[in-house]
Amino acid sequence: MSEEQKEAKPKKRMTATQAAASIGSLVKEFITDAIRARAERKQKLAYTFIVCHHEEIFRSMDVIPIWTENFAGVCGAKRDAERFLQRAESLGLSRSLCTYALCGIGFDQWREELGQMPPDSPWGGQPKPDFMISSGQILCDPRSKWYQASQQFMPDVPIYNIDLPYPLFQRDRDHREVWGYYHKYIVKQLRGLVAFLEEQTQKKMDYDRLRELVDLSDRTWNLIDETYSLRKAVPCPMGTGDAMNTMVPINFMMATQKAYDFFVNLKKELEEKIAKGEGEVQEERYRLMWGGGLPAWFALTDFNYFNSKGASFPAETTYRMVAPLNEMDIPETKDPIEHLAWRWLGYWTFWYDKAKKRQGSEPDVERLINWIEEYKIDGIVMHEAFSCRTWHVGLIWQLHQLAKIYKPIPDYSIGRDGKKNRVYRELPSLILESDIIDITSYSEVDTKNKIDAFIATLESNRLNKVA
Amino acid sequence: MSEMRGNALDVVEKYYKDYGLRAKELKKKGEKIIGYICSFVPLEIVAAAGCIPFRVRGNVREPITKGDTLLETIVCPYYRSCFDLSVKQKYDFLSGMVIPHGCDSMVRSYSAWSYSLPYSYFHFINIPTVCGESSSEFFDAELNTFRKSLEKFTGKAIADDDLAKTIRTYNQNRDKVRALYEFRKSDPPRISGTELTMVLTVGSSLPVGEFNTLLDQVSTEIEGRKKSPLKKGPRILIDGACLDNIELIRLVEEIGGNVVADTICNGARDYFPRTDEGGDPIHSLADRYLDKVNCPKTYRENRTGTFEGDIASRFGDIGIYAKEFKVDGAILYLYKYCDPFGFEVPARKAYYKSVNVPLLHLEDIYSAGTMSQLRTRIQAFLEMIG
Repeated sequence: MSEEQKEAKPKKRMTATQAAASIGSLVKEFITDAIRARAERKQKLAYTFIVCHHEEIFRSMDVIPIWTENFAGVCGAKRDAERFLQRAESLGLSRSLCTYALCGIGFDQWREELGQMPPDSPWGGQPKPDFMISSGQILCDPRSKWYQASQQFMPDVPIYNIDLPYPLFQRDRDHREVWGYYHKYIVKQLRGLVAFLEEQTQKKMDYDRLRELVDLSDRTWNLIDETYSLRKAVPCPMGTGDAMNTMVPINFMMATQKAYDFFVNLKKELEEKIAKGEGEVQEERYRLMWGGGLPAWFALTDFNYFNSKGASFPAETTYRMVAPLNEMDIPETKDPIEHLAWRWLGYWTFWYDKAKKRQGSEPDVERLINWIEEYKIDGIVMHEAFSCRTWHVGLIWQLHQLAKIYKPIPDYSIGRDGKKNRVYRELPSLILESDIIDITSYSEVDTKNKIDAFIATLESNRLNKVA
Repeated sequence: MSEMRGNALDVVEKYYKDYGLRAKELKKKGEKIIGYICSFVPLEIVAAAGCIPFRVRGNVREPITKGDTLLETIVCPYYRSCFDLSVKQKYDFLSGMVIPHGCDSMVRSYSAWSYSLPYSYFHFINIPTVCGESSSEFFDAELNTFRKSLEKFTGKAIADDDLAKTIRTYNQNRDKVRALYEFRKSDPPRISGTELTMVLTVGSSLPVGEFNTLLDQVSTEIEGRKKSPLKKGPRILIDGACLDNIELIRLVEEIGGNVVADTICNGARDYFPRTDEGGDPIHSLADRYLDKVNCPKTYRENRTGTFEGDIASRFGDIGIYAKEFKVDGAILYLYKYCDPFGFEVPARKAYYKSVNVPLLHLEDIYSAGTMSQLRTRIQAFLEMIG
């Protein structure tokens, strides 16, 4: 096993914003803080996952979350995941499974075998938790299997698994017909989490503090929405490459003043850039949307390659895990747990009503259509990570549905003046293929060839439109 | 083997080879056939609505073509094959389709199914991932939603008595299947694994009443057998997800193994758990499908505080079957890209070791083309334990 072999250090991606450039140190800080907390034993540490709407509960009870997907991503970005993936494979786990989980399980097994961090662990490594909070969400099987598998190597670490379902979109049904019992269930699951944490920490939940943190998160959600909407500007001041950095406060720092302040600063920075007419790229020729898929963390410089061709990314569906609360049709409540449950349902059903109004649409497709129009998108890029079904199954079908609307032939219509209008609505798409952290799945040459061909198509479309 | 067959097994073979033949006939007579995927769909509710549940099956001999234009190849190959056959209109006699939250692939591809196929009824059932009081309450409500959607589709109310009746019929069905498994206990078994898999596969394409009659006929036929269709050999348990094609089991038996037990979805996992009779039928169904169907997708809390205790509780049924059917070895046969089962491999391996059952773990891609590669590995395994 090549446990000691590491890939060459990756090139650093160039960022367009100061805010994105500051993220590396933030991530490093919360990883090293967790290691320090483990040594001091003053606060409890919990393995957990992003997008569970439970950060407020954690932080109210002074529990430090260890974002295991984040650590796997760091290993990937530093091109140092392979030795942990191989460890997991040697246990009998197939490389076709979620590689975040494989990396995490391989790391845990190694750390527990050694009784200390594996040699040269990225950013000091991932400390052993006091407990693990997994989530059997409707959208990710590995989340309820990962910690169960890791528990083999640390049987003394208990797991609490919260179930967070949401009603799947069904064209012939109003989701509000069923969401009452969904809400009731999620509330019970979250209250169960509170009870579990109270038992583990031997502290009672401070509901006033929880209410304050929920309010802080809500304000942060709205602020993020306002900030990201600024990217509609032409030229676009910040692209998806940067958003893969600014996802950190969205997903790992929610319910903190630091996350709120981060977006205050980012918003200010984007407003200044827009006032000066500064774009992500010097001469913006194409506006693209990252329409689905987690990024290849080891190849984020591919965004710079796009940029070098004049392509900017004003929008992405990945990791923008917030929606404007004032546009959500959810009941008012003073109970913070009930609000968290409503916010969960409001987020996941956000596009349902709009999707129903458009023939052939569906929530994920509807979001693409809306953002294509609002952000003036010329093409879609997606990434198929082979090891993750959660975020990557259904992307081809979404493009298939989109192609019914954005056809590769001109649309003709008669304008008010009685003259014939010709509109090109063609929207080319590109699917990149590799993985989130398994670099063996990636070919830089093939990727660049695909990007070059895609840019050639975009250019041809651009010339057609001009003509 | 064929000279040992009587009429019932010939009927089974006919329906196995032309899967859906009977459903097509029934469709012509005006019946509503509802397709489903996975063991989590409560068939009792479908039947109580006056519809005929029909398990959508893949085909290991047919290359996946049209399906791949709409669904990613990182989906489990079994599920991809089911989708591929469906979009190629193999199941165009269906009136509707029910998909549960059995795995991510089912959830994430639901739109691809419901927008690509011309059926007038589609329904998704959300299955809780954990077991507990609140999950049970939620699942009761979710099954009532399913019941209402079928009522709307058929225009017929489903009374509790209708449900109680179908619960009884499906319990009888499970008892009859259990009785068929009894024939596996002799050495060599009176019924081969290949035959049993064919019977169960075919059964999920028939109305439950017809399946029950067929099971009676098959049982009588097996009862009357003078000798086993197999020579004595290592007694094998097949562990894994859905195995709706006979290729693997036939391969094991061709090279000398006797497949005598399983945990598979169209086998013991689905047919062994019964539904409680006499109480609130929806609650009893929720209890069966959530708690009693032992699928790795459902998270079961480790209440023992030890790894050994945890695996004994999660996989204890394997140990029971191994003893009951006097198993010499097991084959854990999993599909590539299957997260729920895939993450359990180290724990399952440890469990087999703890109960002293030798194990061969195979990862495959749901294709008859891989059988020759598997042959060598299975042969070596049988020799090792034989």
